[in-house]
Amino acid sequence: MPAIRACHASTHDGSDRERPMLHRINWVLMLATLASAFALYVIKYDTRRLEARVQAQERALEKAESDIALLAAERAHLARPERLEPLARLNGLAPITSRQYLRIDAGRAASSATAGAAAPAPESR
Amino acid sequence: MTARAAAIDRAPAWTSRMPAGADTRAARLRTRRRVVVCALLTVFATIAGQLVRLALKSGPEIKVNIVEPLARSWSRPDIVDRHGRLLATDVGMYSFYADPAMIPDVDETIEKLSAALPGLDTAELRKALRDRTRRFAWVSRGVTPRVAQKVHALGLPGIGYRVELKRVYPLGPLTGHLLGTVNTDNKGIAGVERLLDEEGRVESVQGPERSASSALRLSLDVGVQHALADELKQACLRYSAAAAAGLALDVDTGEIVGAVSLPEADPSLPAEWLDPARADKLTGGTFELGSIFKALTVAMALEAGTADLDKLYDVRQPLVSGTYVTKDLHPQGRPLTVREIFLHSSNVGAGMLALEAGVHSQRAFLERLGLMRQTRLETGPVAAPQLPKHWGRIETITVAYGHGLAVAPVQFAAALATLVNGGLEVTPTLLARAAKRETAARLISADTSARMREIMRLNVTNVQGTGRHAEAEGYRVGGKTGTAEMPGRGGYREKAVISSFAGAFPMDAPRYAILVSLFEPQTGEAGGDRITAGLNAAPTTARVVERIAPLLGILPRRADIAGP
Repeated sequence: MPAIRACHASTHDGSDRERPMLHRINWVLMLATLASAFALYVIKYDTRRLEARVQAQERALEKAESDIALLAAERAHLARPERLEPLARLNGLAPITSRQYLRIDAGRAASSATAGAAAPAPESR
Repeated sequence: MTARAAAIDRAPAWTSRMPAGADTRAARLRTRRRVVVCALLTVFATIAGQLVRLALKSGPEIKVNIVEPLARSWSRPDIVDRHGRLLATDVGMYSFYADPAMIPDVDETIEKLSAALPGLDTAELRKALRDRTRRFAWVSRGVTPRVAQKVHALGLPGIGYRVELKRVYPLGPLTGHLLGTVNTDNKGIAGVERLLDEEGRVESVQGPERSASSALRLSLDVGVQHALADELKQACLRYSAAAAAGLALDVDTGEIVGAVSLPEADPSLPAEWLDPARADKLTGGTFELGSIFKALTVAMALEAGTADLDKLYDVRQPLVSGTYVTKDLHPQGRPLTVREIFLHSSNVGAGMLALEAGVHSQRAFLERLGLMRQTRLETGPVAAPQLPKHWGRIETITVAYGHGLAVAPVQFAAALATLVNGGLEVTPTLLARAAKRETAARLISADTSARMREIMRLNVTNVQGTGRHAEAEGYRVGGKTGTAEMPGRGGYREKAVISSFAGAFPMDAPRYAILVSLFEPQTGEAGGDRITAGLNAAPTTARVVERIAPLLGILPRRADIAGP
């Protein structure tokens, strides 16, 4: 019996200070668990929503990309020289002739680039 | 966790039976308790850390690939011209398929489908749909969005669609021969398209995924290509020619800026593309090009040192070799200098030049210019030259004026470029090159090249020159004409000729070599039945140069423009 009492006494010595602390830690941990579970739930649903948005945007992007490809092809088709030439000629345009070149400034040699820019309408884009 | 902690709390019940060491025991217990608490905290921290890690790291992407070999197609990079104008691209198109097991009424389905899809092979489809064991059959592939909407609106059970990539060529047949074509699965089967496959630039895809690969830039210029095609088409009408071919090539880099072969072939119609009558004449066929070969013969004689431009040759007598007699079409009745032989396009003179230099020189020279071996272009192998089986005296003479040796025009154009560019090797290419190659091999001397430029220009400026109609005001064209009789059954056909002009411009410092060939023209510039190249191929060249020189950035020289 005295041994038990002694035991009680000895346990009281140590745990009186430690038990409330452990309890507090337990509570804190439990709350933290609940809070993190809730946070996880919120994050998960947020993520799903974001994923749906990403997918929608990816789809929109794909759609836009394929539309651009189609439009680029259509533009190239409409701007094909075979079609533009008759239209340009109808408007009184014609390929440039060698007599139409004039040197504006005798000291400054016209670069080949300007000759390219002066190309007649049917061949330009 | 709490239960375990409680167990730890109760633990001292037995430890305290030994009061002697009670204090140390209690201390040890405290330590143990702390260790356990620390361990638990570590576990929690690990879990929390793991959660954070998972949240931050995007998990491995889970891809489900439905294996359906039928739906596989190839995604290809775009092809653009040297200025970035689109020549070929992939667009998403609708492809309809049927699940025969799900179709309630085959006849009704086919009837409705054929109303919406004109050109549907109903017999074939009926056979496919009647086979109830099949679960998949294509109905129509590569349908435009509008037609697809119509089919979709029918609401037929068992008919589904998927979006597939389809190759489109916005410019139609303009660059058809060079681009080649693709099959239904978007796989390249010819031309530059096949090059893309060979170089591994196409990707296998399940859906309409466009290629991420950058566009392939060709050396072609759409403007030049169109001008060339347009002028050749007009020439075909004007001179009633059956076909035509034209080529413009950068003499320094070998870049082909324009290459047209008429009749054209539309790359979106593979059947048309594979039609032998529409085969590319520039790379796919070899021709005896006739007198334009005399440019090579003169260069060969100059290079061998057996002649110079002022050396006289007596060309009054025909060259006789066994039963074979070489005559001049328009004999001048007097000895001619090498310059005049070139100007008057004397067959006898060319033959004499070649005989004087010798068969070995001739062969070695043609070999050096690459006209004796098969070459390759990005579109595939160029048709191999047809060499004479036996190369004797007769062949030496005939090859000197362009008969008995047939080459692909593109190969001749490369040799021509070498003649005028200072003598450096030219490898024709369809791909845009960044800059002039620095390491081009020298094939002929710069001096010979300068003399060739001189006589080629003279042939256009001289009133007696056969190429005088090739003059494009201000652009200094020079070159050689050639009217070659086409071989037919039992010999050459006098009225079926290939009339060509092979030249370059501007001749004082050539930038582009040009080759124009008209096949079987029936008339010339002045009308009538004069079908020599000087009267049809030469004026066509002038018209082509007048249109393409401004596009290629070549300035006309004022001094060469007559009048005010």
